[in-house]
Amino acid sequence: MKLVSRNALRWLPAFVVPAVVVTAVIAVPLQAGAAVDLPDKTPEQVLLLVNDSTVSAFSGTVDQSSDLGLPSLNLTEALPEGNDSTSPLGLTTVLELLSGSHEFRVYVGGEGQSRVQVKDRMAERNVVHNGSDIWLYDSSTNAATHLSLPADLEATAQAKSAELHSQLPTDLATPAQLAERFLSELDPSTTVSVGTDARIAGRSVYQLLLTPRTNEMLTSDTLVASVSIAVDSETGLPLQVTVLAQGQSAPAFQVGFTAIDFAAPNTDLFNFVPPANASVTEQTLPAKPEGSTGDHSGDHSPAVGEVPVVTGTGWSTIVEVPAAAVPAELGDNPLLDQLTTAVDGGRALTTSLVTVFQSNDGRVFAGAVPLAALQAAAQ
Amino acid sequence: MSPSETRPPETEGGPHVRHGGSWDLLGSEISVLFRRRRTWAMLVAVALIPILLAVAVRLSSSTLDPGEGPPFLDRVTQNGLFVGFTAMVVAIPLFLPLTIGVVAGDTIAGEAGLGTLRYLLVAPAGRVRLLLVKYAGAALFCLVATLTLTVSGALVGAALFPVGPVTLLSGDTISVTESLLRSLLVAAYVTVSLLGLAMIGLFISTLTDVPVGAMAATIVVSVIAQILDVIPQLDWLHPWLFSHYWLGFADLLRQPLDLGSFAHNAILQAGYLAVFGALAYSRFVTKDILS
Amino acid sequence: MTGAGTGAHQAQGLAIETRALTKKFGSQTAVNGIHLRVPRGAVFGFLGPNGSGKTTSIRMLLGLTQASSGSISVLGQSMPTRLSEVLPRVGALVEGPAFYPFLSGAANLRRLDTADPFAPRRTRRARVQGALERVGLSHAAEKKVHAYSLGMKQRLGIANALLLPRELLVLDEPTNGLDPQGTREVRSLVRSLAAEGTTVFVSSHLLAEVEQMCTHAAVMSVGSLVAQGTLAALRQVGETRVHLRTPDAAGALRVLTRLGLEPARATNDAADAVVVAPLGDTNWQPEAIVTALVAGGVRIRGFAIEEPSLEERFVALTGEGFDVAQ
Repeated sequence: MKLVSRNALRWLPAFVVPAVVVTAVIAVPLQAGAAVDLPDKTPEQVLLLVNDSTVSAFSGTVDQSSDLGLPSLNLTEALPEGNDSTSPLGLTTVLELLSGSHEFRVYVGGEGQSRVQVKDRMAERNVVHNGSDIWLYDSSTNAATHLSLPADLEATAQAKSAELHSQLPTDLATPAQLAERFLSELDPSTTVSVGTDARIAGRSVYQLLLTPRTNEMLTSDTLVASVSIAVDSETGLPLQVTVLAQGQSAPAFQVGFTAIDFAAPNTDLFNFVPPANASVTEQTLPAKPEGSTGDHSGDHSPAVGEVPVVTGTGWSTIVEVPAAAVPAELGDNPLLDQLTTAVDGGRALTTSLVTVFQSNDGRVFAGAVPLAALQAAAQ
Repeated sequence: MSPSETRPPETEGGPHVRHGGSWDLLGSEISVLFRRRRTWAMLVAVALIPILLAVAVRLSSSTLDPGEGPPFLDRVTQNGLFVGFTAMVVAIPLFLPLTIGVVAGDTIAGEAGLGTLRYLLVAPAGRVRLLLVKYAGAALFCLVATLTLTVSGALVGAALFPVGPVTLLSGDTISVTESLLRSLLVAAYVTVSLLGLAMIGLFISTLTDVPVGAMAATIVVSVIAQILDVIPQLDWLHPWLFSHYWLGFADLLRQPLDLGSFAHNAILQAGYLAVFGALAYSRFVTKDILS
Repeated sequence: MTGAGTGAHQAQGLAIETRALTKKFGSQTAVNGIHLRVPRGAVFGFLGPNGSGKTTSIRMLLGLTQASSGSISVLGQSMPTRLSEVLPRVGALVEGPAFYPFLSGAANLRRLDTADPFAPRRTRRARVQGALERVGLSHAAEKKVHAYSLGMKQRLGIANALLLPRELLVLDEPTNGLDPQGTREVRSLVRSLAAEGTTVFVSSHLLAEVEQMCTHAAVMSVGSLVAQGTLAALRQVGETRVHLRTPDAAGALRVLTRLGLEPARATNDAADAVVVAPLGDTNWQPEAIVTALVAGGVRIRGFAIEEPSLEERFVALTGEGFDVAQ
């Protein structure tokens, strides 16, 4: 008997240690998310907190994950020949970023200094913004793109903002009023509430919860179940955005900090010098930027019949792009064949959050609504 | 049963005093490990990986486009210091685990197979002490193997290609000295990455008296872990696989230096050490030595 | 030699004592409740055919395998609980020698010596040299073990047990693979160790070996201990017997029974039966028995008092021929 108990004792670690490790694995994230109790705030107060945020410099790690139910893409094969493979912001990149999960490192140094690093497997894509310079660098191709922003861009933006301000009704002079107005605008379509306090990136946060109203006539048959925004309780910086889709428990889209440091990053980070052997492309943005990166820099003023038409309200808004406004290159893109499926009256791309429908006559409809709603709109 | 730190009572046999302690056994373990021709053969093979890579690139007339072949390979011709990084990427999935599997799988089963296990235990080595010493030997081999790869890569790179400041993944450039320091950091990362597998090998080694079986099983485990790691349906499992962060040393080639994945990897490996260390302990101290 | 001066003291008490020691492998019982008592200072022969449980017992004595039940005490300490204190005082050769073939003989001994936390590093080389000399392997000290013959490995195994002065030596089949010369050397080595006061526990399946070396012996058969004691006692125990050839078997049985013996017919041949009866504790003189038989009308064709041989005893206990015990 004594021997048996001795042996039992010696086998104890084989059970106890794995049990402790498994418990730790389960308990640590739970503990991190548990027991946060902040002073109660109304949605309006949380919005004010965001508005009053004075954070100008920080660095952090951002995780982004999407579970949109997109068909898995063979991006390398589908990459259009001769297309903008050097551009980190092309269609392929956007699609790639929307599928699966990614990790970023973000550095913001204030005063027009920022750097975003997309951590890829054995590679990295960088966007470095420093004053009037933007550098894009992709280590997998060892290619850098330099964009010079026009010096007056910032001035233009400031002027525009001032102009906007002057146009605002006078009763919206204070941020508090702005928040109130914003909420009342949202009210018919959306319930805004403050969810349970949580912990994101080691910081306690308020969770602003936007839920589409599903009442009577405004019944928005939208695919969005809810949007939650986590706001740092101290600084007011939004730390995470989560979009839940109808009938899906995992977030359809989530982007948020996993770590954040409010110390100003080293300014050396923003002084990007392309590596000696990299191929460098110089690009200058036009004074009045149309596209964001100059990809669609052709002068392209909207004409009649090219303006998108917006129908519906709130969450069930549908955007209709007339056939003439659909970029021709889109039609040739082999990616589309991979992505879309033939449906009644055209081709459709359905995800858990957004549906895009191209009718046979070339018009494109999109919205956070079921396909049937788009097909109905196309009639 | 611990390797009793207490002195035996002063018996009729005369006073027994601990002399060598565990360091003697560790020294002996290391010397036996590195006296084996098999160990040297594996280290030579590890050293050959960067050499073959570099020579192949040197002799090849066609230039590689960026992104072609293993990571960094296109940079090798411009900067020899990339040889080591490329070789590491190439060696991590199979070759390094293979050598670790051989060494770790052999730890206990090899002694059992030779029959020397019973003589070590009646010496008495103490079962816990023997396990610890065996694991320390296997861990040292992990370090020596990765250092061999790193040093061989740096030497052959410097011999065949120009050497200069190194461009990191983030596009920033660091000096040769710093790049050598980062190479050592990468070697440290890879060593840590392999510690979990070494402990799994030690555990498997306590299960059998057939060393070849234990080696093969350990290697198979590492291959299976990597296969599981690429099955998308199992993505919940991926962060818990010991091989999941094996290629994470890329984070050491970013600017600013990101030690987060180093720490993450170390914690994961520590978890594997705890679990499989406990299993190895329980199995070995209750094992009937019949070999 | 730490053991030498204290031999007399050691002679008291038991070097090895087991109580109801049992080892089961699954449903098979390899060792069945043995009570082994090895006095200090003895050269103890552990006899039994191959597969009778000798090696399994030795493995339990040395803490290599766990007993299924029963208890063990070695050098006055409980095993395996006090293993780390007991084993440094014990030298062992278990189930043949085993070494690293790629190391030299001397390097092998040094390696195993480091495993003993009580072996002083300072004297390691000298002790290894001494042990090799003692078994006559000095000339091959630097030769790799894979070049050793079986006999040389056997000697190296014994040398390993002698690296430090020991209170107890456990030698499992020490003469295996040795030529007659080597066997003689081992024998004299064991004797000289015993003279220094070391208790030697030798297992063997060869009776002759035990008879020549040992003061005590125990006999194993099919996992059980069937006899143990001094050699003299083993030879005696109830072994002297009457061996009678007679055509009057029934009469002989009657007469012998009347004398208080327990006769039995050894053959069934009615015309020429053999009747044997152990003398046991009775003090009958042979002539008195013959007189009684003749008086009882028993015709005697042959009569003998058989003195026991250990061989006979061994065979009687363990069975004959090549039947390896299961």
